Amino acid sequence: MITVALIGNPNVGKTELFNRLTGLKQHVGNWPGVTVEKKVGKCQYKGEELEIVDLPGTYSLTARAMDELIARNYIVEDKPDVVVDIVDGTNLERNLYLTLLLLELEANVVVALNQWDMVNERGIEIDVDKLSSLLGVPVVPTVATTGEGLEALKEAILTAARNKDRRRKIVIGYGDDLEALIKRVRDVIAKDTGLARKYPPRWLAIKALEHDEEVLKRLQDSPYWDEIRGVIPNK
Amino acid sequence: MNEYSGEDLEVVFPERRYEAIAKIMETAVRVRKERKWTFTDILDHVFLHRVLGIPIFLALLYAVFQFTFAISAPFSDMIDLSFGWLGSLAGANISNPMLASFVADGVCAGLGSVLVFIPPIFILFFALAILEDSGYLARAAFVMDRAMYKLGLHGRSFIPLITGFGCNIPAIMATRSIENENDRIITILVNPLMSCSARLPVYVLLAGVIFSTSYVAGAAVFSMYVLGIALAVMSALVFRKTLFRGKPAPFVLELPRYAVPGLKSVTLHMWERGKWFLIKAGTFIFAVVIVAWALSTFPWAATAGGELIENSYIAMFGHVIEPLFRPFGWNWQSAVALFFGFLAKEAVVGTFGALLGAEGEGVNIALANAHWFTPLSGFAYMVFVLIYFPCVATIGVMLKELRPRWVLFAAMYTLILAFVVASLVMAIGHLAGLA
Repeated sequence: MITVALIGNPNVGKTELFNRLTGLKQHVGNWPGVTVEKKVGKCQYKGEELEIVDLPGTYSLTARAMDELIARNYIVEDKPDVVVDIVDGTNLERNLYLTLLLLELEANVVVALNQWDMVNERGIEIDVDKLSSLLGVPVVPTVATTGEGLEALKEAILTAARNKDRRRKIVIGYGDDLEALIKRVRDVIAKDTGLARKYPPRWLAIKALEHDEEVLKRLQDSPYWDEIRGVIPNK
Repeated sequence: MNEYSGEDLEVVFPERRYEAIAKIMETAVRVRKERKWTFTDILDHVFLHRVLGIPIFLALLYAVFQFTFAISAPFSDMIDLSFGWLGSLAGANISNPMLASFVADGVCAGLGSVLVFIPPIFILFFALAILEDSGYLARAAFVMDRAMYKLGLHGRSFIPLITGFGCNIPAIMATRSIENENDRIITILVNPLMSCSARLPVYVLLAGVIFSTSYVAGAAVFSMYVLGIALAVMSALVFRKTLFRGKPAPFVLELPRYAVPGLKSVTLHMWERGKWFLIKAGTFIFAVVIVAWALSTFPWAATAGGELIENSYIAMFGHVIEPLFRPFGWNWQSAVALFFGFLAKEAVVGTFGALLGAEGEGVNIALANAHWFTPLSGFAYMVFVLIYFPCVATIGVMLKELRPRWVLFAAMYTLILAFVVASLVMAIGHLAGLA
């Protein structure tokens, strides 16, 4: 079975896409420990069973809001095989922010470029291949309201799941100054091999530098905490 | 190396991400200059209009309620008739009088009086799902946000408030998207004032009884929703000025594009929300109605098998709490119904059903014939049901989301507000010579 997480900004057609993919085979429960709704559905494609988890709609992945934390923890802890990032093609600039955060998390991302019909209607021209190569992940145009592009999306999910370990990991650079800082923190964190195996060290380093409470809490338990703290600029 | 402080970094990282995005946009995206007006632009020009936006929202809401009542009435009558028929059938064919009373006056009259609201509740959810799936509901939220923000309220609050029309429980859960804790607490505290679908049966029953024309009754029901919104906004404002001083956090709201709602998706929405009413009716409300029936029928000998309710336990209890509500002209039966309504607001109607033992004829006819309410006292009763106490399930969710003292506060202020506003209704009514 392939586990697939759906994520995206609010109002990009995520629920429509989820319903299209799973039909009526849905199960509604709660995320552990909190009363935020968790929807899980199943779908079959080419003899493979896909388990699809609907993550809360968010703009970002900080530790400050509950839904963002739920989405982030699911991706970091449960490590779904594929994360489908649903992006509103008519609002690409804002939506790509979440995409970059997902790439930073080193999730196995497939971008669904939704509202594709509106993109053309509004006179926006998106070079899908170029976008895909810049992000280093597959990009599939979709129209959730009509189901257009859904087969291609399922195909991309399947391929991404099979090539999970062979994918090209693209790094969005933060500029030389920050990269030097990230590398320093990352190298210290990487000494804690248990931690580095569980979470992407580069992500931990960036989040630590951003003073992300959840990540700092996790790093405090590391035997290298004093050393890590030494390389993070104070507030 | 230490040219950045930690504080700078929190800003610099997102900035660099946006720079990277800008580069991607430059290479992969091109926008043609001559942009045409899209369908969404045209509709938004109307729906988001500075002056007309709010009147349009209220007009659409009014249309939703009129649509709900017009469509659901015949279906409700069918359910009503079949429960009445079942009740009289049971009364005539079950030889054990206690069992006959249980089935006819308890199960059929009590539960039947609640189940007739399946059609209006499902149709209301259907209509709200159309508004939501069409993309309009987000516009309504945006239009109201603008007004609320001017009043010093948080913009993002209105979406949970609109959700409250369905049920306050998911609405309170939806407040989790509000990052600022004070904004979130205020939104939870005022949410029970948004008239949920459980209160609808009470309004429909009362409005139908006290107003003879359906047009006036529909307007009376609609007025409850508007009153609820007004009270929620006012209370939020008071809390903001007294308990939670400060400015609301800024907010961004993304508007989805308009779409023709799909029947499947709308039906799914309706079913997902409506099924809770069925589950609640089958379990919780059923239990409350049975308790109400038992209390109104026992002691068996004294009430002559439920015929003389004046001698029952429920009457004793009712007479104890009735003085509290005497200024409004409500009798002890209505007071008892309010008590059970605390457990679930639909239970007000179920209790009336059990107390009137309405077999063969609808609870509405029985209630009209009983002359318990004048138009004024009935309207005040509707207002009271709108405002007083969040139901038990809502209190349960509030306890998960807030510290206990805030939950206690929510319970107390709504109760006091209910007395105050219902008294105002009575006073204004008397002054206007409506008594």
